[in-house]
Amino acid sequence: MKNFSDHQRLWFYRVLTLTVTAVLAHLLAVWAAPRVIMQVLMHGPAAQKMNMHNQASFPDPVSAKSRTVVMPSPDMLYSVCAYDLRQGPVRVSAAPALPNYWSVALYAANSDNFFVRNDRQAQGRPVDLWLVAPGGDPQQKPPPPGAEVVVSPSSTGFLLMRVLTTDYQAEKDRVEPARRTLQCSQG
Amino acid sequence: MSTKDHWSARVRRVAIGAVLYLGAVALGLGSAWWVLKKSPWLNPSVEVGAWSTNLQAGSQDAGLYTRATIAVNALLALGRDETMYFVATRDDAGHALRSQCNYRITGVPPQARWWSVTAYADDLFLFDAPNGHYSLNGSTAKLDAAGAFALTTGPNEQSGVYWLPTPGHRGLTLTLRLYNPSPALQAAPQSLVAPAIQRIGDCV
Repeated sequence: MKNFSDHQRLWFYRVLTLTVTAVLAHLLAVWAAPRVIMQVLMHGPAAQKMNMHNQASFPDPVSAKSRTVVMPSPDMLYSVCAYDLRQGPVRVSAAPALPNYWSVALYAANSDNFFVRNDRQAQGRPVDLWLVAPGGDPQQKPPPPGAEVVVSPSSTGFLLMRVLTTDYQAEKDRVEPARRTLQCSQG
Repeated sequence: MSTKDHWSARVRRVAIGAVLYLGAVALGLGSAWWVLKKSPWLNPSVEVGAWSTNLQAGSQDAGLYTRATIAVNALLALGRDETMYFVATRDDAGHALRSQCNYRITGVPPQARWWSVTAYADDLFLFDAPNGHYSLNGSTAKLDAAGAFALTTGPNEQSGVYWLPTPGHRGLTLTLRLYNPSPALQAAPQSLVAPAIQRIGDCV
C-alpha cells in the first residue's frame, strides 16, 4: 500500500469493510429467516389470537382465507400447539382413531421437523409423548407410564397435527372430534 | 483549512460512510431475499418434467440455505419419508405458469399412499376459488380407462374435467404432494412419472 495515496487507501478499506458488511448481513438474514418465521408463527398476533401456548388449538378448515402459513393443504384439517419446555416437560396426546392418514409432527425453533408419528406407525394406539427440553428436565419429573420420551432440539417449538379430509362437510362429524383429541399441556 | 471547513469535511465523510454502510446492509438483505425466493439451484433438488422436489425439505440435515428456503416457501414441510413435495412453476413447454391461462394436467396416480395436486397463487396461498375446488387428490380423482387422471386450472371451466379456478392475473404454482411415498420413489425421486402440464389455447 506504499504507493497508494491516502484517498486510495481510504476507498480500499471502505470497499473491503462494505463487502464484509454485505456478506455478514446476507448470512445473518439467511440464518435468521427460519427462526424469525417460527417465532412469528408461535408468538405472533395469529398465535396469540389462537391461544396455543402449551395448549392445543384448532384452526378453521383450510380455505382461501387461510393466510398464516404458506402452502396450506386444503385436504388436511390441522390442530396446533406452540410448546414451551422452559418451565418443564409438556405432555402431548392424541387418539384420532381414523382409518385415513393422520400424523403428529414436531418442529424445532429453527423450523426443522425432528419427529413425526403417523397413523400407520401408531398402529391403532394413541400418541402419548413426554416432550422434554434439550438439556433434560431440571425437575426430573418421571414421565407418565406408557408415554414416549421425546427430546426437543430447542426449548420452544411447534406441533402440527394433520388429519386427512377430502370432503370436510361430509366428514365433519368424524374428523372434527378426531382432531380435537389432541392435548398439549405442561406436565 | 478553517475549523468550520474541517468539521464540514468530517460530517460529509461520516454521512457518506453511513450511506455506504446502509447500502451494504441493504445489499446483504436484498441478496438473501433474492436467493431464498428466486434461486432454487442453491438447494439440492431433483427435476422431473416440469416438477422439482427438494431432497432435504423438512430434514434435520438441511443446510443453511435449504432450511431458510423451505421456511420461506414451504414452512412446516415434512421429511421425504413422510411426504414428498413436487413443485411446478412452468409448463412442459418451459413457459411460466400464469393464472390467466388455462392448463390441462394429466398423469397417473404416483406411487404413494395418497396424493394431491393443489393450485397456489404466487404468494403461495390458495386462490379464491368460487367452486371451493383447491385441489384434486387421490380420493376425488376419477381415473379413465387407462388409469390416468386429468384436471384443468385457469379462469375458465373446461367441459367434463375437474377444474381448479385460478382467478386474477398473477403467477401460478402447482404442488404435487405424495403422502407416504413408496420406498422406491423416496430413493429415486426422478423415477416419478411426472404429470404433464399443457397450456390450452390463448391466455385471457
